[in-house]
Amino acid sequence: MRRVAVIGVGVTKFGRHDRTSAELFAEAAADALADAGLPATAVQALYYGNVVGGETEKQLHTSPQAASVLGLPAVPTTRFETACASSHAAFRHAVMEVGSGVSDVVLVGGAERVLNVTTEESTEYFAYASDARWEQTLGLTFPGVFALVARAHMAKHGTTEEQMAAVAVKNHKHGTRNPKAQFQKEITLEQVLKSALVADPLKLYDCCPFTDGGAAVVIASEEVARKARRPIWVLASAAASDWMLIGDKRDLSRVPATERAAAAAYRQAGLGPRDIDVVELHDCFTIAEIVATEGLGLFEAGMGGPAAEKGWTSVGGKMPVNPSGGLKAKGHPIGATGAAQIAEIVTQLRHDAAARQVDGARVGLTHTLGGNTATVLVSLFGRD
Amino acid sequence: MTETRVTQKQFFEKAAAGELSALRCGRCGALAIPPREFCPECAERAWQPAALSGEGTIASFTVIRVAPRGYAGEVPYAIAAVHLKEGVSLLGRVVDIPLDRLKIGLPVRFRPLTKNGQTAVGFGPSS
Repeated sequence: MRRVAVIGVGVTKFGRHDRTSAELFAEAAADALADAGLPATAVQALYYGNVVGGETEKQLHTSPQAASVLGLPAVPTTRFETACASSHAAFRHAVMEVGSGVSDVVLVGGAERVLNVTTEESTEYFAYASDARWEQTLGLTFPGVFALVARAHMAKHGTTEEQMAAVAVKNHKHGTRNPKAQFQKEITLEQVLKSALVADPLKLYDCCPFTDGGAAVVIASEEVARKARRPIWVLASAAASDWMLIGDKRDLSRVPATERAAAAAYRQAGLGPRDIDVVELHDCFTIAEIVATEGLGLFEAGMGGPAAEKGWTSVGGKMPVNPSGGLKAKGHPIGATGAAQIAEIVTQLRHDAAARQVDGARVGLTHTLGGNTATVLVSLFGRD
Repeated sequence: MTETRVTQKQFFEKAAAGELSALRCGRCGALAIPPREFCPECAERAWQPAALSGEGTIASFTVIRVAPRGYAGEVPYAIAAVHLKEGVSLLGRVVDIPLDRLKIGLPVRFRPLTKNGQTAVGFGPSS
């Protein structure tokens, strides 16, 4: 495999928009190309993530639509759908296209539009990432899946609701330093603990919001990247899966796909958890951040909760997690999330993150989880 | 060795009649909930039908307060991952157990439910 770098990134404001997902992606992609210093004609392929477009926008075939709106109707393009991990899955495959020598410049990204439908509707559509016959029939929701994980983690490790709330407080604090974040307001531990139950023991402020938004990154071969202003190298990009049905997962306090994807990524890069300076990980729910920090090997099993409570995962702490505000505060436009996480890590490694900069960051990690924990992507990045 | 295929449709038809069906690997003895082609333990295709008692204990649970479209009228309702005594687990709706009595380790027993016109897995009190 040839070396591959990210040479441009772009992210829309996250929140409520009155534009289509294709328009949101196109804005992010144009910004990413400008950041890369490349003309649109340099793009040889588009790898695209979009999840519930078929439901919220009555739109399939979203990748050529996105390419057309961008103004690149002729590029080969494919939509990836692995629930919330879609654009990170797209990224991994795009890295293989450039790494293998098929293309030199590839655009990767995604977008989602969900705030144009009611919460009841979007709750239904997100639940489509669980099994239709075995689980959706029960009225299982996406918060419900992570509530099962939370309860199992609490029973096994003594993780507390206060520790989960600490994740929300920290990510909201980080979000105040991100002008693109959906929420740029601090919240208190008490506000989290007193917010309405969504799926016991998860409360409203344990949950990330529904979000519209787009994100894009430009990746390039080493030859092209050497001419770019500030290339950030892709050190690894790995995927792993797990059983689809909750019933088939042996230990709900763990996410084995995270452990497997992390092990593969560390092996590819020849690095370990101790080499990581900054992390953007999939905090769709507060418990998801706690379990991910353990699965990535950043903390021992059972120490994810105490780590959040002690401030170890804050910017300025010993293992900064989600300086962007994470899915919790930055927002979670599901098809765009993986690409947005990569954009944040690239920004951090360029030392361009202003008020939320992790000092001296040289190696970064992105972790994106799909739906019911059946898909996980982990990528590693480094600067020269 | 002849292989037995149990389809998802057959599982739910039997479930509607109160019977939980499973597959046991004719090579290594591993147990699985159908449908499944290969044994995840030994990669063999030698499934034999097996019946489950329907008895188990709650491995984790939640109470859904914000429901998907079509379920809003049922909130609050409990969903539990249940570890069946034969060693496999199933997710199901909990019925006839007060929500404040739910806890990990609570014994429960399978019972068929009908949700949106389809048979679904339910669990009620063990006795």
